[in-house]
Amino acid sequence: MRETDWAPARLIEGTLVARPGFSARAPAGLGRTLVSGDLAAALAALAPGAPVLGLYEPAPKTAHALRIARDRALVVTPAPIGAEDGWRDGWCATTVDDGWATIEVEGDGAPSVLMQGCAADLAAGSPSAAVLFAGFRVLLARTPGGFSLHVERPWLEALSTWLDGA
Amino acid sequence: MLLFCPFCGPRDETEFHYLGEPKARPEPAAEVTDAAWAEYLYVNANPRGEAREIWLHRTCMDVLVMTRDTATNATLSVESSRPA
Ligand SMILES: [Zn+2]
Repeated sequence: MRETDWAPARLIEGTLVARPGFSARAPAGLGRTLVSGDLAAALAALAPGAPVLGLYEPAPKTAHALRIARDRALVVTPAPIGAEDGWRDGWCATTVDDGWATIEVEGDGAPSVLMQGCAADLAAGSPSAAVLFAGFRVLLARTPGGFSLHVERPWLEALSTWLDGA
Repeated sequence: MLLFCPFCGPRDETEFHYLGEPKARPEPAAEVTDAAWAEYLYVNANPRGEAREIWLHRTCMDVLVMTRDTATNATLSVESSRPA
């Protein structure tokens, strides 16, 4: 195939990359909702009790929010929550169940992939989970077997291609 | 080089985008001459040493006003353009 041709897009869910040291897979069925404005009020309404995570913090399987900015976060839930889009009471919801994608990288090679992709001092922490990974703007969380990246859906293919060469 | 975002903390320079020197846009637009507009767009002080610069933190999208030493790359102060 010529390098100027588009590669066929991979699956949105399932195994994206399988390499000797690590695998990258996209979990199925997650709910994703962007919230803006009063984050505490938004979470109380959409996902009560969900923790707000900063950079490379351990992400539970249950509902959690990944902080992007002072007034912006991505709420990740085990299934879509069907939030009503738009502003109310100082906060705004935007349903992005299929607008964002999640990649879970696992395996012995995962720490090396993380170091290749990300220049941030992960031990120092940050209130924002948003970071550049391989040049892509992602939200980075820690998982039991490695790390997860949340990325706007259009970047999934390019990010998968980068992971394939990591 | 590390730059500092008041919200996110220290981050690699590649996360930031330089937006330019802080300066007032000439107004009103209808009365601005081509020369004044060109000067606003293209003529910069570009000092060696202490400089005021506007930067965007691309991951959180905060717009920052930094005072930096352009000779040593030391950040002397940084403020967010948004309320805390
Ligand atoms: Zn920031």
